Amino acid sequence: MTTTQPARTDGPTGGRPWGTRVPARLDASGAGQHDDPHDDRHDERRDAGGGTTARRRAPLTLLVGAGALVLLASVLVAVTLGASGLGVAEVVRSVGTHAGLDVVPLDRLQDAIVWQIRLPRVLTAAAVGAGLALAGAVMQSLTRNPLADPYLLGLSSGASVGAVAVLLLGLGVLLPVAAFVGALAALLASLALARTGAALSPGRAVLAGLAVSQLCAALTSFVIFWTAQGDSYREILTWLMGSLAGAHWSSVGIAGLAVLVVGTVLAAAAGRLDAFAFGDTAAAALGVAVDRTRWTLLVLVAVLTGCLVAVSGSIGFVGLVVPHAVATLTGPSHRRLLPVAALAGAVVLVWADTLARTVFEPRELPVGIVTALIGVPVFAVLLRRGRGPAWA
Amino acid sequence: MGLTDGPALRVEGLHLAGVGARLGGRWVLDGVDATPPPGRLTGLLGPNGAGKSTLLRLLAGLRAPDAGAVLVDVLDERTADGPSAERHDVARLPRRRRARAVALLEQESTSAVPFTVTEVVALGRIPHRGASDATRDAAVVAASLAAVDAGHLADRPWSALSGGERQRVHIARALAQEPTLLLLDEPTNHLDVSAQLTTLALVRDRGTTAVAALHDLNLAAAWCDHVLVLSEGRLVAAGPPAQVLTPELVEAVWGVRCEVLVHPRTGRPVIAFDGPAPGTGGPSSAPASRQQPAEVLR
Repeated sequence: MTTTQPARTDGPTGGRPWGTRVPARLDASGAGQHDDPHDDRHDERRDAGGGTTARRRAPLTLLVGAGALVLLASVLVAVTLGASGLGVAEVVRSVGTHAGLDVVPLDRLQDAIVWQIRLPRVLTAAAVGAGLALAGAVMQSLTRNPLADPYLLGLSSGASVGAVAVLLLGLGVLLPVAAFVGALAALLASLALARTGAALSPGRAVLAGLAVSQLCAALTSFVIFWTAQGDSYREILTWLMGSLAGAHWSSVGIAGLAVLVVGTVLAAAAGRLDAFAFGDTAAAALGVAVDRTRWTLLVLVAVLTGCLVAVSGSIGFVGLVVPHAVATLTGPSHRRLLPVAALAGAVVLVWADTLARTVFEPRELPVGIVTALIGVPVFAVLLRRGRGPAWA
Repeated sequence: MGLTDGPALRVEGLHLAGVGARLGGRWVLDGVDATPPPGRLTGLLGPNGAGKSTLLRLLAGLRAPDAGAVLVDVLDERTADGPSAERHDVARLPRRRRARAVALLEQESTSAVPFTVTEVVALGRIPHRGASDATRDAAVVAASLAAVDAGHLADRPWSALSGGERQRVHIARALAQEPTLLLLDEPTNHLDVSAQLTTLALVRDRGTTAVAALHDLNLAAAWCDHVLVLSEGRLVAAGPPAQVLTPELVEAVWGVRCEVLVHPRTGRPVIAFDGPAPGTGGPSSAPASRQQPAEVLR
């Protein structure tokens, strides 16, 4: 890097006396005044699609406002979709009744479908989607790895071990607890493996998470292979692919509360997350307590993910793709990215789950299949356009 | 210390007192005593591995020395009874307030995050959050970009810039911190001759206390008011470049033979290298016909 420089100003041949202002450029590269033709390390990205165009970002209030409206409309419409003919008006009447407003109540069956079955499920989907998008964005930033997702530290595999164990023992009621405990155990194992002294290196965290994931996956497979049969097999598979079929109001509470609490902390930490873009030293030079911030936020996001996995199983691709897709609109600055990503993740999962339960009615698909089917093409498009992160 | 939070601190002076640092059990810096002159550009010189980057990190307070201390005279602008600088250990200043006073430009710094140039420079405003507002932040960012002559790059994606453009954007990011102590690790890296001169002129003419690690002895000789020469972790010389950069010192520290000439207009030293000194393994020496010192001195 540095060795080329003295040769250019004053080589061993003596060169020109120092201080003589060099007239424009003498080489024929035709580059602009301030381009450096001697350094072409980065030039290959220059003409990649969307590479050089000047970019202005849309105003944040517009994006958040539009996102909130789309989410509200999505929730209302998604609740109407399904076997019995319900309209948005019925949904509003049911919600109004339960909110204690003076509206004409629905008949009991319709009300039960809206209030007991569909609404908790759709709201859980929204909360889980928002949480996954937030967790993915933060993981990508803290590990400086564009391929990071919320399950990076072995969380989903750890949760799977716990979940599969209780399902096979016929203790399905304990599933959320077991999944959460499994996720936390995997997190602790990964962090213990990754930790060097007091510092947590992002690269080691990724590798440790990989190791723990593989171990947990092997355990899960072993347990299934050895014991599962018939119904429990399908039940396990459904959970492993991610499903919102079991969502109740308690799921809305768990996921919603986790998203609100962690989301509030993340909103306050957004500026510090930006500081990580150029590495730990740069972040420290900008006044960020690097290790403390990374540890705190990683653990917080992992607990959030644990809560989400507990209610929905591990739903893939939302946490990986949504932050990248949203960043093409908002830019990577976390103050703008996080709120919009949360809204977008919510909308995506509401619709993915609606597809999962309606397309092959009365049979249901695990929602993880739908998010993968949607997520992969979107990922491919982002990759082809050279947008999103600078994938090599 | 009473420095928990508040307006920017002004760094008025910088002192290294017996500074030592260990890396992997080895002392990479040992007993460095120096006082870079305030308001001036100090060049930090030395061969690869001499400890320049480590010293800059210590000066930035990013790590505490394993021996001695880096002390700064800081003026707390909110002190009511007239300004008087207090001496503090830089590693113990509160992080955010320190980041509003001290900026560090790293040697190699890259990111996969798809920021625009403006967004990269705005990172320099992070320490000022809560103490500044959006309008002022935007103004400082624009002024910092203009200062490195990169205003036209404002909306370009950072990933599409050339190495030289990136370097100037990093300098703008450091300036956006509004530092009163500016620390630069190889600031002229990747820059063409014109941009090298412009950059060092910019840093020197700001009148900010600045310490820049430089590999190019001629750049240091031409632009620095003061130089510190490190060799294997020890400070071997300090002072104005004309006094420090002698053929004997250059040969002793870098193992290179040279003539030190005098620039006909600026009076600054100009170092004309002969080649590696005998026994250092390189080609013996440049042909005599190419040295021509008399012509340059004319």
